[in-house]
Amino acid sequence: MNEREDLGSGDVLRRLLSNLNPGPSGWRTGAATILALLVALTLSSLLIAVTGGSPVASVEALFQGSMSDLTAWSSTLLYAAPLLLVAVGACVSARSGLFNIGQEGQVLIGALAAAWVGLRLAITGPLLIVVMLLAAGLAAGGWAGLSSLMYRLRGVNVVVSTLLMTFVAQQIVAYAVNTPWLLQESRIGNAIVSPQSNPLPSSALLGSIGEYPGLQINAGLIIALIAAVLIAVAISRTTWGFKITMLGRNPLAAKHAGVRVTALGGAALAVSGAFAGLAGAVLLASPVGVNRLQPGLSMNIGWDGLLVALVARNRPLAAMPVALLFGVLRSGGGFLAATGVPSFLVDVVKALLVLAFVAPPVVVALARRRRSGDRTAGARREAAPVAEEAIA
Amino acid sequence: MTIDERARELTPPTTPALRLRGISKRYGPVVASDGVDLDVHHGEIHGLLGENGAGKSTLMKILLGLVKRDSGTILRGEEPADITSPQEAVALGIGMVHQHFSLIDALTVWENVILGDTGKIDRTAACRQVEEVSRRYGLPIDPLARVDRLSAGERQRVELIKCLRRDPSVLILDEPTSVLTQAESAELFTVLRQVVRTEDRAVILISHKLAEITAATDRVTVLRKGRVVFHSETSATTPQELARQMVGRDVSLRAEGAALGLLPVDGGRPADTGTAPDTALDTAPDIETGTAPDTETGTASPAPGVVPALRLRDLTVTVDGVTALSDLSLDIAPGEILGLYGVEGNGQSVLGDLLSGLVLPTSGTVEVGGRPVELDRPGALHRAGLGIIPEDRHSSGVVLDMSIAENLVMKSLGDVSGRGFISRRKMYGIARRLAAEFNIVAPSMDTPVRSLSGGNQQRVVLARELSAGPSVLVAAQPTHGLDVGAIEDMYQRLQDAASGGVAVLLISTELEEVMALASRIAVICSGRITGVLPTGEATAERLGMLVGGVAA
Ligand SMILES: Nc1ncnc2c1ncn2[C@@H]1O[C@H](COP(=O)(O)OP(=O)(O)OP(=O)(O)O)[C@@H](O)[C@H]1O
Ligand SMILES: [Mg+2]
Repeated sequence: MNEREDLGSGDVLRRLLSNLNPGPSGWRTGAATILALLVALTLSSLLIAVTGGSPVASVEALFQGSMSDLTAWSSTLLYAAPLLLVAVGACVSARSGLFNIGQEGQVLIGALAAAWVGLRLAITGPLLIVVMLLAAGLAAGGWAGLSSLMYRLRGVNVVVSTLLMTFVAQQIVAYAVNTPWLLQESRIGNAIVSPQSNPLPSSALLGSIGEYPGLQINAGLIIALIAAVLIAVAISRTTWGFKITMLGRNPLAAKHAGVRVTALGGAALAVSGAFAGLAGAVLLASPVGVNRLQPGLSMNIGWDGLLVALVARNRPLAAMPVALLFGVLRSGGGFLAATGVPSFLVDVVKALLVLAFVAPPVVVALARRRRSGDRTAGARREAAPVAEEAIA
Repeated sequence: MTIDERARELTPPTTPALRLRGISKRYGPVVASDGVDLDVHHGEIHGLLGENGAGKSTLMKILLGLVKRDSGTILRGEEPADITSPQEAVALGIGMVHQHFSLIDALTVWENVILGDTGKIDRTAACRQVEEVSRRYGLPIDPLARVDRLSAGERQRVELIKCLRRDPSVLILDEPTSVLTQAESAELFTVLRQVVRTEDRAVILISHKLAEITAATDRVTVLRKGRVVFHSETSATTPQELARQMVGRDVSLRAEGAALGLLPVDGGRPADTGTAPDTALDTAPDIETGTAPDTETGTASPAPGVVPALRLRDLTVTVDGVTALSDLSLDIAPGEILGLYGVEGNGQSVLGDLLSGLVLPTSGTVEVGGRPVELDRPGALHRAGLGIIPEDRHSSGVVLDMSIAENLVMKSLGDVSGRGFISRRKMYGIARRLAAEFNIVAPSMDTPVRSLSGGNQQRVVLARELSAGPSVLVAAQPTHGLDVGAIEDMYQRLQDAASGGVAVLLISTELEEVMALASRIAVICSGRITGVLPTGEATAERLGMLVGGVAA
C-alpha cells in the first residue's frame, strides 16, 4: 500500500520534471541541474572575488541593471525579444534534425535587408515597417536556405555551412556600410563618415507601449511572443510539425511515410533563418540599439539565441523564460560592467550558467552509459531501460 | 535424447546458478512481471516462452540491472544479489544478447566488440581476442569487416562474441534466432550446447519458435501476462502443450506448424501436412480458374487477362556497384498470396527497401493496378495503394520515439487533420480502435513505441498498413518475433486481406510459412528470380535447386 502511494507521487514528480525537460530525463537530471547551478554560482562568485570584486555587490548590480525598476525591466525585455526570436527559429531546425548554427550571420542579413528597405524604398506609413520585417525574414530565410542547397547539390554538412556563412554575412554587411552607393551614411560637409548606415527614419522604427520611465514594451517583444506561441502550436498541432518531428526522429521512416525529406528539411532551415532575420530587424528598429546598420549590430544575439534554444531543449514556450533570463544577464551585465567588474566576467558567468543547464542531462546520460558498461551501443536502441532508470 | 542428457536430468541439480523469487514489475496499468520465480542451473539451457508482451524481455532486463524491479529477490548461487546496474550483472557473470541488434553499423566488428571498454584501445589485441573467442566457439567472423556489410546471422555472431568475451557464466539470449536462417540457428544451438556442456555455463534462451525450444533446451518455463504458468523438463512436454500454455487455449494447426517450422526439414514434402492445398483453395480462386503458371521460363503471370495488382518489371538495383537485384520481374494478381522464398541476403531486403520508397531502381518499373508508379515521388507507393510491413521495423517501419498513436496515423495524416491541423480526438480515436482490433497491448496510446514489446511494435506496423486499405500488401518476414498466437493472427489477417482482393507479396526465408500461405512460390537467388512454382508443385528438392540458383 505504502509502496504504491510512493510510486504514485514519484510518478507525478517525474511527469512534472519531464514537462520541464523533454526526452529521457527525470529527477536525476533535475537534481543534477540544481547542483550544477549551485556550482556555477559558487564558481562565479569566486571568480568575481578573485578579480577583486565583491560577489554581493555584483549581484546587486546585476539586479539593479535588469530588474530593479521599470526602466531596467524595459531594457531587459528589449534584449529578450531578439533572443527569443532566434531561439524559436533554432527550435524548428533542431527538431527537424538539421542543426542551423549560423544565426549570428542570419541576424545580420536580416538587419541588412530591413535597413535597405527602410532607407532606400519610398514606402510611407506603417506599411514600411511591415515590408522591412518581411524583407528581413525572406532574406535571412533564403540565406539559410542556401545551406540546404549546398547540402543537396554538394553534400556540404549543414552545421559547417551555416557556421561558415556567418563569416560571409559579416563581410557583406561590412562591405555594405563601407560602400556609399549601398548603405554607407551620407557625407555631410567634410565630416568623417563611419562604417554605418544613416539612422532609420522614424516611420521605420518599431513602436512601444508605455513610456519612459514606465514599463516600455516594444512591438519586437510582442512579435517574438506571438512567434513563440505560433511555432509551439505548429510543432505540436499541425501536420507540418508532425512531419518535422518525424524527420528529426527517424528520417528513413519519414521518407517511407511520404515526407519530402529534402524539401521539408530545407524549409525547416529557411524558417529558422527567417526568425533570425526577424531578430535582426528587431535589433535594428527597436530602441535596443542606435537604429543604424552597423557591423556590430548583432551583438552576439545569434549565438546567445542558440544557447537559449539549447537550454530550453528546443521547446519554443520554454524558450520564453530562458530568453528573459538571458535578457537579464545582458542588461544587468552592462550595469555590472559599469560598476567596474570586468565585462568579460559577465560572459564567463553566462557561459557557466548555460553549462549548468545544458551539461546535466548529458552527464546523466553518460553516467548511465558508463554504468551499462559493455552495452554502450545498446543505449541507442534499447532506450527503454534508460527511460526506466530515470523513473527509478 | 542422448545418454548424458538423460544422466543430467536424473542427477538432482546442485545449487542453481541463479534463482529469482517473487520478481514483480509494473508499468502503469501493465503488469510486466508478476511474482516470477525462476531457477536456472549450471549446465542447462533454460527456455523461456511466452506471448508477445508476456514480460520475457522485462524479466531479463531486471536480471541485468537495466530495469528496476518493484519487488522480489535475486539469488546468485547462495548469495542474494542486488543487481542495480549492468556492471554489477557483468561482475556477477551475467551476460545478455538483446532482442534487437545493438551494433553500430559504421564500425568494424572488433570496434563493436570492445565498445564500452575503458582504457587504451589496442587494435591488434582486440582483433586477436575476437579471433580467439570466435575460434573457441566456432563463430567464424572477420574482425576487420564493417558491420553494415554483414548478414543478420553474422551480426548475431558478433553480438554473441561480444557477450562471450566477458566469460559470463549465465548467458541470456533474447530471441536470438528470429532473424536467423534455419542453418544459422542450428549452428547457434551447436555453439550453445558446447558452451553449456563443456564449460558448465547456464543459458537462458528466449524464443517464439517452439521447435527450437523443444530441440535445444533442457528445461522450459512459460510466462503469461507476467506470471509463470507452466514449468517443466523439456523432455516431459510437447510443443502442442507449450503452445497451449502460452496462449491459454488451443491454437490452430497451421500457425503451430509455422511455429514448429524451424525444425530442419529433412527432404520430405512439407506440404504433406495438407494445409498448403487448402490455402490455395481458400484464398486464390483466380489461380484455380486461370491457366497454369508458366514455370519453365520463370516469368510470372498468374492469370492472363487479369490485370495484376502488382507488377514488377525488370527491376535492377545497383548499390555501391554491387548488383542487388537484376532484371527481377513478378506479377501478383488481386486476391493472390505470392511467396518470395530464398536464403537471407539474396536481394530481399533491397526489394523491401525499394517497395518502401527508400531505394530507387537503376532500371525497371513498378506498376500497381496497371498504372506505373513514379518511384521518385515521396509517398507515391503508399498513394498508389501499396502497404508494406518492412523487414527491419526499427529502421523504417516505426519512429521509436514517437507515440503509438502518432505511429499509427503517420502515413495517413490526411485522415486525422483538417486545414493542416491534427485533430487529437480523431488521432486517438483511430489509434484506440486499431489498438483494440490488432491487440496492441500498451499502457496508453501516448506510450512511445520504443517501450513496446517486440511483438507489439510489429502489430503497430501491421495495423497501420492494413488499415490504409491497400490493394497490394508486401509483408517482409512478417512473423519475425511474433508468438504462436500472433503468428496465427498474422496469417489469418494476410489471408483475410487476400480473400478481400488484396494482392499479397510475402517475402520470407521460412519454407513452412511460404508453403502454408502462398498459392505460388517465386524463388529468389542472387537478386534474380530463379523460378516460380505453384505451391502444389513445389517440392523441397525443386525449391532447394532453385534456391541454389539452378533452374528447376
Ligand atoms: N519501458 C516501458 N514502459 C512502459 N511499458 C513497458 C516498458 N517496457 C515494457 N513495457 C510493457 O511491458 C510488457 C512486457 O514487455 P516485454 O518487452 O517484457 O515483453 P516480451 O515478453 O519480451 O514480448 P516480445 O515477445 O514481444 O518481445 C509489454 O506490455 C510492454 O508494453
Ligand atoms: Mg521481448
